[in-house]
Amino acid sequence: MERSFAAEVESLKLGDGQVFHGEGILAVTKALLQSGVSYVGGYQGAPVSHMMDVLNDAREIMDRLGIHVETNASEAGAAAMLGASINYPLRGAVTWKSTVGTNVASDALSNLASAGVKGGTLIVIGEDYGEGASIIQERSHAFAMKSQIWLLDPRPNLPTIVRMVEQGFELSEASQSPVMLELRIRACHVHGSFLAKDNRAARFSRQNLLNDPDFDAGRICLPPSTYAQEKHKVEVRWPAAIEFIRRNRLNEHFPGTSDDVGIIVQGGMYNVALRALQQLGLADAFGQSVIPIYVLNVTYPLIPDEVSQFCAGKRRVLVVEEGQPNYIEEAVHAILRRADVQTRVHGKDMLPMAGEYTGEVVLTGVAKYIEAAAPKGVDTAAAHTAFEKLMTPKRRAAELLGSPVPTRAPGFCIGCPERPVFSAMKLVEREVGRLHVSCDIGCHTFSTLPPFSIGNTVLGYGLGLASNTAVNPMFGRRTLTVMGDGGFWHNGLTSGIANAVFNRNDGILVIMKNGYTSATGTQTIPSSVHQSEGKSTDMSIEKALSGIGVKWVKSVYTYRVGEMVRTLKDALTSSYNGLKVIIADAECQLERQRRLRPLIAKQLAAGERVVRTRFGVDDEVCTGDHSCIRLSGCPSLTIKPNPDPLRTDPVATVDQGCVGCGLCGEVAHAAVLCPSFYRADIVQNPRIWDRWLDSLRRAVIGWLQGSPAWTR
Amino acid sequence: MDALTAVDRASSAGALPTRPITILVAALGGEGGGVLAEWLVASATDQGFPVQSTSIPGVAQRTGATTYYLEIYPAAWERLGQRAPVLALTPSPGNIDVMIASELLEAGRALQSGYVSPDRTTLVASSHRIYAIAEKSAMSDGRFDTSKLMETARVLARRLVLFDMARLAREAGTVINAVMFGALVGSGALPMSRQACEEAIRRSGKGAEASLRGFEAGYRHAQGDDVPAPQQADDRTRSRPVDRVRSQFPSETHKILEEGVARLADYQDEAYAQLYLDRLAPVLSAERDGGGGATGYRLTTETGRHLALWMSYEDVIRVADLKTRPERFARVRNEVRARPGEPVIVTEFLKPGIEELCAILPPSLARPLLAWAARRGRSYSIGMHVRTSTVTGYLLMRLLARMTGLRRKSSRFHDEQALIERWLVAVKAAAAESIDLALEIAECARLIKGYGDTHRRGTTNFLNIFDALIGPAAGRPAGRAAAIARARQAALADPEGKSLAEALPRPAGSA
Repeated sequence: MERSFAAEVESLKLGDGQVFHGEGILAVTKALLQSGVSYVGGYQGAPVSHMMDVLNDAREIMDRLGIHVETNASEAGAAAMLGASINYPLRGAVTWKSTVGTNVASDALSNLASAGVKGGTLIVIGEDYGEGASIIQERSHAFAMKSQIWLLDPRPNLPTIVRMVEQGFELSEASQSPVMLELRIRACHVHGSFLAKDNRAARFSRQNLLNDPDFDAGRICLPPSTYAQEKHKVEVRWPAAIEFIRRNRLNEHFPGTSDDVGIIVQGGMYNVALRALQQLGLADAFGQSVIPIYVLNVTYPLIPDEVSQFCAGKRRVLVVEEGQPNYIEEAVHAILRRADVQTRVHGKDMLPMAGEYTGEVVLTGVAKYIEAAAPKGVDTAAAHTAFEKLMTPKRRAAELLGSPVPTRAPGFCIGCPERPVFSAMKLVEREVGRLHVSCDIGCHTFSTLPPFSIGNTVLGYGLGLASNTAVNPMFGRRTLTVMGDGGFWHNGLTSGIANAVFNRNDGILVIMKNGYTSATGTQTIPSSVHQSEGKSTDMSIEKALSGIGVKWVKSVYTYRVGEMVRTLKDALTSSYNGLKVIIADAECQLERQRRLRPLIAKQLAAGERVVRTRFGVDDEVCTGDHSCIRLSGCPSLTIKPNPDPLRTDPVATVDQGCVGCGLCGEVAHAAVLCPSFYRADIVQNPRIWDRWLDSLRRAVIGWLQGSPAWTR
Repeated sequence: MDALTAVDRASSAGALPTRPITILVAALGGEGGGVLAEWLVASATDQGFPVQSTSIPGVAQRTGATTYYLEIYPAAWERLGQRAPVLALTPSPGNIDVMIASELLEAGRALQSGYVSPDRTTLVASSHRIYAIAEKSAMSDGRFDTSKLMETARVLARRLVLFDMARLAREAGTVINAVMFGALVGSGALPMSRQACEEAIRRSGKGAEASLRGFEAGYRHAQGDDVPAPQQADDRTRSRPVDRVRSQFPSETHKILEEGVARLADYQDEAYAQLYLDRLAPVLSAERDGGGGATGYRLTTETGRHLALWMSYEDVIRVADLKTRPERFARVRNEVRARPGEPVIVTEFLKPGIEELCAILPPSLARPLLAWAARRGRSYSIGMHVRTSTVTGYLLMRLLARMTGLRRKSSRFHDEQALIERWLVAVKAAAAESIDLALEIAECARLIKGYGDTHRRGTTNFLNIFDALIGPAAGRPAGRAAAIARARQAALADPEGKSLAEALPRPAGSA
């Protein structure tokens, strides 16, 4: 695991009246414990990866409370686990990255929502939208609506988030429906504080077991029950939810002096909207706003009475709703029409339809709204001047800089074992021409960015090979698929490999076996070599492939670029008709270094002999073409000003970050690139023999260098 | 109103500050930006201030650019009663009090986003560069103009603290985040005391001592107490005054030409260096005739630069020589940070192929051998790992290095000299028409560099431009100069030659 939360989990033990300080996602975990959950689970993915890490690091606390912790195989598995709450009064929570995780989970979610729940169920979704997101840009809102799952979108401060978790369980039980808690990226990572309560042991748990299985035909998702369930949803569960939300005031109303206008805002958007008002001189630092604000901590369902009461008597309201389609704005229109309230509704006409609502975006939209609505008692000219002044430095910077600064996209880490595979593919492409490569989800998706620009499609986690099934038969030459070991266990084994064998697919699959789901923070997977306790250790990709009937399997140590080139060409030209799998085998460098560094430090301290390997470039030999960088992209392989007074192009150089993975030398060799690279093996704590040999060599070479016969 | 006066006013007059202090941290994955944010939160909490931080780590942790955003309300909780400030999670343009960037281009990104404004922003940034992939992978020089970044920072920041924090971190044996923290506190833009900040580092445990050293260095630097001398540029000028250059060439050209003479004498012999000046003399007189003196003899200088490099083309003899020089071993030890007494074993990655072999053979042997290899349709090469730090490895390389005598008779020498002459004729001819045109032709020599495929591609591009735009001397000089400059840039735009093919009047190459 990339990050240990061993210290942070201590704060999960806080009791009544103590102040919790920490990250949003840790606060959610604490709130789950305060709510008396019986079981938790999920699947890692930014921005909620930390929650899975915390759950695993907090096993001792979980065990004491009798809570079952499951590292689910996928989001579908996590959603299905919530089935425990259908028949039994067990509170359960799962987490995943959305919308992708919700997509994977949606089969189970639909069934869960139809059957209804006895125990409160909470799905904590990390809404991966906007800056920092790594997935397709969609809203989870649609899932809530289609399956009738209530959607909480709390104001992004820890007290509100914690309150929403606790009341979310109550809402779920009061309305027999699952509840989603939506947290945007920054809310997941927001660091703040709240007043803690004692943790609560659940009524039923691993400490206090169930005895009698419950049977209720009405809870089975099969006709005729499904018809009754749908009716139950709208006739019983929906009204119960509305009643609960209203009675417990989950949504908030902040009055203001300019009551002829108002802003309706998703809870998660409250702080950014308030900051915009503050910057325009219309609110103070404590949230006292001139403009009345109605905060939707529950964005689905809306409470029609609350909406129409807020809007009554107002000329214009602005709906601040991030993402599209603009479900809330449309719903507000419908509610007001039904209630015959004549307020004009603004939303996507003032704010952009798509994209993250950043500080700048919301400021611009709110400024536009204030100017158009001219709230009573507000000096709109002053607001306009304030806005113009705020935006001036950005315009000035653009003029002064002349052109946009280069982007800095994420990429493979220093010494990443996946990089050599794409170096090899580039070399193969040089010989045989461009190849179609179906990509998957994981760190290896970085291959689609410069300098590699390899990969034609990305269709979903573990779905690389499945997405290649109709491509391969359409090409005269075989095509390639890349899949990570994370994707392999998530979905790839069945949807991809079993399907390919079954349908006699003739393609080539490269499995990146680095031992972790590295992109999400190096969580372990079934085939990880190093497992935490409580996990099975004897699960191998090779055995799974063999069991499923893959006959052509070759394993290559990824740093051997030449061998990888040969194996790829072999797979491209082999007469074998059927799926060919190349296992690109080498441990994630992040984890490797994390393991090795303390070990080496200990050896060095103990005076043991340690050989450190580093690569370098002879700047007199390098001519500054940078082919090596185009074939590698390693962050530690960079450029520096040319020390040669005759040359102007910068030369390649290897910086101090080098971990000595050896790719530079391998690529220089395999690509017949240039002789600039050297490898240096530095013998630390040398033995007598090392010293003796070294001084002998230096003496002889020094003598030769001093002798005119050998220097010229 | 700036951050400090906000605090002062709050404490003296009893009125609460009207807004929080906003801090945006721009860093790259792995630089410890998250830990810096934690230190800031801890020190603010320690002083009882409401504080909030957010980040968007995600995949940006994998070497990408990322930011951490903090807001600190500079009045202690107990003064607020039941009220709590509403703190934003995203930065807004024109609304940042303290902008700190771990690297110069990231400071540029912040400027570009409007996060630095003259009325309130203290910009604290490291002046060192970590190049973005587009800058690194360019075929020539793709670096963003740092003078523009510095200038924009100077114009837009209310206060600018700019120095090489990476270097201070290295010297203190710590990570850059500690130096950044020290610089932030030293800039005086934070409401927290220095003690509270150092305490936050101490409490964070691991590596605290090193971090505190880095903090101290950053703090002193931001306070202006400790301004180290600028780092010396790595300049390898080896030239010495050359009488013939001094007497026959104008002073503006001396630096480059003397370097060229020294380079070629070192590469081959004195006669070869004299040939260099013989070749340049007519270029100089052509430039004189064309009035080049007024523009500082740029044509002679640039032709001299490229001619020296071209004449000292890199063959195996040259590479072996460069890799076995005494100063090279010292440089390697220094670069890999070997401590005194630690043996260093240096391994070279050489893959001489049939072309490299033929390059040092006479044309009569090289031509048939190359033709044979071409018929076989494949290239032959031997991958070698030569350890130049061992006696046998050193001797092997030295043997190669001593073959300079063979060079003058070799096929590569023959070919290069012919192409050089062709290029020089074109430069001289153009100079009679227009110095600018001649300069563009001279500049085309920069396309020819590197080894193996790189060298082959460069030469092909050079010839394609030559055949299409330089040989056929039609049209006005200004138009031709512009077309040549465009084609040269296109040749350096992508290794596949797509841009060049579009830039030339007819398809490049004849496959």
